Amino acid sequence: MSSTSQKHRDFVAEPMGEKPVMALAGIGEVLGKRLEEKGFDKAYVVLGQFLVLKKDEELFRDWLKDTCGANVKQQGDCYGCLKEWCDAFL
Amino acid sequence: MSQFVENPAHLSKFRLKSDLVAHDVALPPSKSKKEVYVGLHLQHIGQKNAVDFSSDEEDQVQDVSDKEEDTEMPDPSGLTDDDLKAALLELGVKAGPIVASTRALYEKKLRKLLQSNGHGCLNGVEKGVLYSDSEEEEENGEEEDKELGSEGEKEETVKQSDQAQQGSSQVELCFQNGGFVYPQCFLLSSRLFPSGSQSVMPDGESSMSSQAFSITRMVEEMESRRSLSTSSDTEIELNGSNVQKHWSRSNRLDMPIVDTMKNQSLYYTPKASPYKWKMKLTQEPVKDTFKDMFPNTDATTTGIYATRRRPIKGAAGRPVQYAYPDTPVSPTTLEKREVERRLVPIQIQILVFLIVMCLLYLIYVCVEDNSFGPSVALLDSLYQGSDSEEGLLLQAETQDVPALSGQE
Repeated sequence: MSSTSQKHRDFVAEPMGEKPVMALAGIGEVLGKRLEEKGFDKAYVVLGQFLVLKKDEELFRDWLKDTCGANVKQQGDCYGCLKEWCDAFL
Repeated sequence: MSQFVENPAHLSKFRLKSDLVAHDVALPPSKSKKEVYVGLHLQHIGQKNAVDFSSDEEDQVQDVSDKEEDTEMPDPSGLTDDDLKAALLELGVKAGPIVASTRALYEKKLRKLLQSNGHGCLNGVEKGVLYSDSEEEEENGEEEDKELGSEGEKEETVKQSDQAQQGSSQVELCFQNGGFVYPQCFLLSSRLFPSGSQSVMPDGESSMSSQAFSITRMVEEMESRRSLSTSSDTEIELNGSNVQKHWSRSNRLDMPIVDTMKNQSLYYTPKASPYKWKMKLTQEPVKDTFKDMFPNTDATTTGIYATRRRPIKGAAGRPVQYAYPDTPVSPTTLEKREVERRLVPIQIQILVFLIVMCLLYLIYVCVEDNSFGPSVALLDSLYQGSDSEEGLLLQAETQDVPALSGQE
């Protein structure tokens, strides 16, 4: 198994439904709060942003960094989580 | 070479737009005809050119910078969504929908591409510019010295920064260290040399590239520039290691801005981190192989699996003092032995096999006795060991039997 966290595996295992943004891998309490303040209160909103950026890794990472100040690892975790979710369910 | 402009009608619409932006003229609606731009251009810039003719160098620099800007694309913030998309497409980037949330990102991307293009175009020879920003000042400075023979320029900046207030000087150095080339190119702009960093400056700045150079104004512009765009990611990336070097020289690390900038510069090192992750991944499997090889050995407290080496008997003239157990065996051999103990030994197996074979053969013989005569001899030989009475009786019987069988 590759180096994915439990959170990642939990998220990718099922449709996200109404899960909060903190359910995303790489997004903890602090980052989650910042995203919520910006209006991204649910995971699907962040998914929306991810899709609008055409699932581009660089752009999505930049956006995460600008929006909530995620570091490189957090960006990577979140991107990987969403990408895998999309591969499975989209 | 100086480009003594100009009939604005000969310029492209983009060029006109960029010139207008550079001179802080409000742009007309983007769908306006070129004539509108030309008119505005003549109105504002035409006059200014006359005034600015006092310094040929500046004009040259300005023109070159404008020209360079124009060959790529104008300022991203001034473009409409469609124009931005077209500009990105020209640079080979297929952009997605440009909506409110994505616009900033695409603008940043365009700026990054413009900067890298500008570097590539102008500094084909000065490759140092691409690779390290912190050294760029020195390189530029050195080249400046070589070409223009003026070393005072760089010293002046240092002096000025020394003399300036603590905060502004630190900020200036921070920006220098963090990868902004603007301070340097400000100084250089007054010289002839159209350094690569020149093209980095957006038009707004070049418009103020000036005779009236002051640090405070530069700092303000830096801050405003900074709020609009972060420095190019490539520079930051490459700076990761160089920043440290440069800071040690500057000796002014107190400002919190330095820390945030350092954090920023270190954040965006996506290329570096995957390598680290890969390294970690490759290291993990190595640790587990030993355990795989010997799964049944008891775990020692120290985790060290070692068996005592059998010492050489009588080594160094000493007699054997310690009776060592048998040669150490691997756990697999021990397993084999245990298994063998439980099963029937091979010798006994072979013996049983032979006995069974004999019995079967005898039975076969008995069955075939009716048809084959010579079997009697075998039977006789078998019954030789028995008692005489029994043997005679048997012989009689056997004789009768063949007789009976013979009659049939």
